[in-house]
Amino acid sequence: MSAQTQESKGMPYPVMAVIGALLMFGGMYLSTDPPSALSFQADLAAQGIPLDLGKTIATIGVFLILFPAINLFFLKPLEEAISERTNTLEEAFTDAESLREEMRTMRSDYERKLIESEENARTQIQSQIKEAQDLRTQMVAEANAKVDEMTRRAREDMESERAKVMGDLRLHVANLAFQATEKILSENVDDARNRKLVDDFITQAEVGTK
Amino acid sequence: MVTNLQNSVWLLGAGEGGHGLTPVGLFAYAFLVIAIIFGILTASKNGLNPRYFTNRWTQRTEQLYLFLENMALGIIGPHGKRYMPILFTFWLVIFISNLFALFMPSAPTADLSFNLGMALIAIGYVQYEGMRANGVGKHWTHFAGPKLPIALIPITMMIFVIEIISEAMKNLSLSLRLFGNIDGGHLAAESLNSLGKHIIPVGGMELSIPFGAFLLPIKLLTVVVQALIFTLLFSVYLSLVTHHDDHGDEHATAAAH
Repeated sequence: MSAQTQESKGMPYPVMAVIGALLMFGGMYLSTDPPSALSFQADLAAQGIPLDLGKTIATIGVFLILFPAINLFFLKPLEEAISERTNTLEEAFTDAESLREEMRTMRSDYERKLIESEENARTQIQSQIKEAQDLRTQMVAEANAKVDEMTRRAREDMESERAKVMGDLRLHVANLAFQATEKILSENVDDARNRKLVDDFITQAEVGTK
Repeated sequence: MVTNLQNSVWLLGAGEGGHGLTPVGLFAYAFLVIAIIFGILTASKNGLNPRYFTNRWTQRTEQLYLFLENMALGIIGPHGKRYMPILFTFWLVIFISNLFALFMPSAPTADLSFNLGMALIAIGYVQYEGMRANGVGKHWTHFAGPKLPIALIPITMMIFVIEIISEAMKNLSLSLRLFGNIDGGHLAAESLNSLGKHIIPVGGMELSIPFGAFLLPIKLLTVVVQALIFTLLFSVYLSLVTHHDDHGDEHATAAAH
C-alpha cells in the first residue's frame, strides 16, 4: 500500500531533504544578492513581470522538503488507517456473507425438516384415522354381536316363559275343565283315562285357536 | 510605531514596485502556510483509527484525499495512486495560499516566482516519470513525433523543437495562470477599493466603502478552482508521459489544452 505512494523508487527522502535545504538557502542567497547574470530580472520587473529566480529555486527547495514530510507525517498513516478500515470492512462483509450462507443452509435444512415433519404427521394422522376406523368397525361389530346375543337370549327367555305360561295355562284350563266336568257329571273323573281325554280336548282347542 | 508598521507591511506585503513579495515576505508567508497545513494535518492525524473517523478534520482531509485519489486514478490510471503525495501537497499548498490571498495583503501564490518554482517541480517530475516509464531515449524521441522518411528530417527536427518549447511553456502556463488569477484578484479588489476611498464625509472624516469585498465570492471560487486546475493539469501531464496507450494520449492532450 505505502509502496505505491512512497517515492522510494526515486530519490531517497533524506537526500531530497538535504538537496531541498541546499536549494532553499542557495535560492535565498541568490534572491538577496542576485549575480549579474540575473540582471534581466530587473528588466522583467520593469515590464510588470516580477520574476525572482532565487525565490523560485528556494521554492523548489521548500517543496523537496515538504513532499516527503507530508507523506511521512500524514499520508502514510492515513493510507494505513484507510487500508485497515477497508480490511476490517471486507472481513465484516465476508463474515456477513458466510453467516448469510450459513443461514441459507439452515433455512433449507429447516424447510426440509418441516416438510418431513409434515409428511410424518400426515402419515401418523392417516394411520391413526385408519386405526380409529378399524376400532370403530370392531366396536360396532362387537356391539352388534352383543345385541344379537341379547336378542337371542331374550327370545329364548321369552320362549321358555311362553312355554312355561302355556303349561300353566294348560294345567289351569285342564283343572277348570275337570271342575266343570265334575260339576256337570257330578263324578270324579280324576283317573288317567279322563285326564287323557282332557289333554286331547285342550290340544284340539289349541289347534283351533291357531 | 509607524516604522514598525511599515516594516510589517514590508514583511508581509509587496516588495519594491509592488510586484511580488520580498524573499523574507515570501518565506514568512510560506512558513505560515506550512504551519497551517501541519496544524490541519496534526488535527487530522489525531483522529486516525482503524475503524471510522469521527474527528471532523480527519473526515475532511480523508474526503480531500479520496477526491484527489479518484482524480489521479481517473486521469492517470491505476498507477496514479503513487503520485498522491505530490498531488496532495500541491493541492494543500495552493489552496491554503489562495485562502491567504482572500484576507491578507499578499499570498505565496500571488508571487510569480513561487508559482514558477511549483511549475518547475511539476514539469520536472513529469519529465522524470516519463523517462522512468519509457526510458530516456524513447521519452526524448517521443518529442520528435511520428517516424518520418529521412528526406523529412527537417520536419522531424522542427517538431522536436516545437514540442520542447511546448513542454517548456507548460511551466509558464501553469505559473502564469495561478499568478494571474490570484494577483489579478488582488489588483481587482484594490482597484475597487480605491473607487470607494473617502466617499462618505462623516463629521469631518471621509469614510471609505470596501467595494473590493464584493469580489469575495468569485475570489473564493478562484481559490478552489485554481488549486484544482493546477493538480488536474499536473495529473494530465503525468498521464501523457506514463500512459502507454497512444489513443488515450490523444484524448488527454485534448483535455490538457
